[in-house]
Amino acid sequence: MPFDPQSLPHRVTIPSDLAAARQIEEQILRDSEHFGYAPECTFAIRLSLEEAIVNAHKHGNRCDPNKTITVSYGVTPERIVVWVRDEGEGFDPNLIPDPTIPDRLDLPDGRGLMLMRSYLDQVLFNERGNEVLLIKEKS
Amino acid sequence: MSTPQSAGSSSAYHMDLNRRGRVVIVKLAGSVNMDVCDEVRDRLIEIVDEEPTENLILDLSELKFICSVGLGGIIAAHVRCRHHNGGVKLVRPMCEIRELLNVTKLTKLFAIYESLDEAIAT
Repeated sequence: MPFDPQSLPHRVTIPSDLAAARQIEEQILRDSEHFGYAPECTFAIRLSLEEAIVNAHKHGNRCDPNKTITVSYGVTPERIVVWVRDEGEGFDPNLIPDPTIPDRLDLPDGRGLMLMRSYLDQVLFNERGNEVLLIKEKS
Repeated sequence: MSTPQSAGSSSAYHMDLNRRGRVVIVKLAGSVNMDVCDEVRDRLIEIVDEEPTENLILDLSELKFICSVGLGGIIAAHVRCRHHNGGVKLVRPMCEIRELLNVTKLTKLFAIYESLDEAIAT
């Protein structure tokens, strides 16, 4: 993922804690409303942010409050860009099975990555798999 | 039985429960987000486990948001109801939630009804 998160105007590092993460989410949603993003676009970015942050907290940092989540983001009239990093070992997104195949439909977990990919224009991981870049174009 | 929750302005959800024998009607409203999704998932499982439950009818007409963990709770409840030859029935999901069900192909798992009466009668 050849992306420099320093290029984004906002950068926040928080303890691996969902209440703290939600404040960042709310700020990004306020910014998107300010720029007039459509409700379906706001829903998409909200859902994807939730999935990325919950993945970082639960699967990346294993809910360890001593670890951190870093979020860099930028909201412009053209697009919303968010970068999320956890301190976990990472994972290979190519190994995550498709949760929509009939045999997996009634499994309760494993939909986060598919939802991000379905609702966003780009979802890119670094090689280690502990950083994800989310991009939603204004439609 | 009513379970109002308010963990923040965008995370408030509300759950109303009405048991009729082996059928439970739950109205799930508001937002099931990262703050409350584990709690909602566990509560849905608890509801269908506390007494033999054939059908869980979920009124989603005022549900504005749900993340994948919340969806997982509905799926887990459905699997439990299936042990009693039933399942989860969804009633009047809003357009964003309906789209979410389409994207995840959960429309193949859950029956969706346009009224509570129809879900109860079917």
